[in-house]
Amino acid sequence: MSKKVAIIASNGGMFDAYKVFNIANAAAATDQEVAIFFTFEGLNLIHKDAYKQLPMPEGKEHFAEGFANANVPAIPELVAMAQEMGVKFIGCQMTMDVMGLEKDSFVEGIEVGGAVTFLEFAKDADVTLTF
Amino acid sequence: MENIKVNVTLDAKGLACPMPIVKTKKAMNTLEAGQVLEVQATDKGSKADIQAWANSAGHQYLGTIEEGDVLKHYLRKSSNDSSIERKHPNVTSNDELEKKLDANENIVVLDVREAAEYAFNHIPNAVSIPLGEIEERLSELNKDDETYVVCRTGSRSDLAAQKLAENGFSNVINVVPGMSAWTGKTNTLNK
Repeated sequence: MSKKVAIIASNGGMFDAYKVFNIANAAAATDQEVAIFFTFEGLNLIHKDAYKQLPMPEGKEHFAEGFANANVPAIPELVAMAQEMGVKFIGCQMTMDVMGLEKDSFVEGIEVGGAVTFLEFAKDADVTLTF
Repeated sequence: MENIKVNVTLDAKGLACPMPIVKTKKAMNTLEAGQVLEVQATDKGSKADIQAWANSAGHQYLGTIEEGDVLKHYLRKSSNDSSIERKHPNVTSNDELEKKLDANENIVVLDVREAAEYAFNHIPNAVSIPLGEIEERLSELNKDDETYVVCRTGSRSDLAAQKLAENGFSNVINVVPGMSAWTGKTNTLNK
């Protein structure tokens, strides 16, 4: 019986993206069922344009070199990998309305839903994480 | 050091977490149950991660060898070999075998696990012939020897014992459960 991992992504920086997608990919590779609910700035992590150039936290820009040296995959690669392994992406409808964004601003294959959509998945999750 | 025989080798060198795990999962899908995968990685976190991953996914983690900066992890794909009904009539326990070994009795211990499993942990002087190679390597064994067959849980050794009996070996004993619960002396690979 596979475990369920429910993740809320509510921040839009590059570090946030790595936290979310590394955990999601590791969980998916361990045969766990994963869903990520992207809300507020978290939507940047799956925004077609924004996710290619997510900002480093202020004052931490020097880590860019470390990322390159450690051969860490780019965020779009991690997103594609997660989707390939069946990680479910849920975009927050309310945030999209507030920000004036449509579903086609985001990577292919996302679902759009409200808080209840996520809660329905998360109610029997074995692990719930918030980033 | 001599190379350990495996079915598939995965090169995950230079990749950062979680890529070694993601690649391992994909590679594992190409193996058949019971086959052995070698994962070469340079991510130092992979040693703990691979073990946790194998544990969670139900595969058998055999061990890791460090060669310079490269970590070579060995995994055996899960098989439901413990659920098979054992058929070879002549069976003994780990304890009985251990007593015979301690008493230096004139017996042969045949280990039919994969070479990588044997490499990391085996009974001293045990002969290594993986189950899949038994038929073609019968000539390495003597039909009249008192032969104790071991594997991890007693299932592969049961199949091997049946094969030996079919081929005229008259004194073949399956050791149950085998290495998964072995507390006697072993030779282990320096990890």
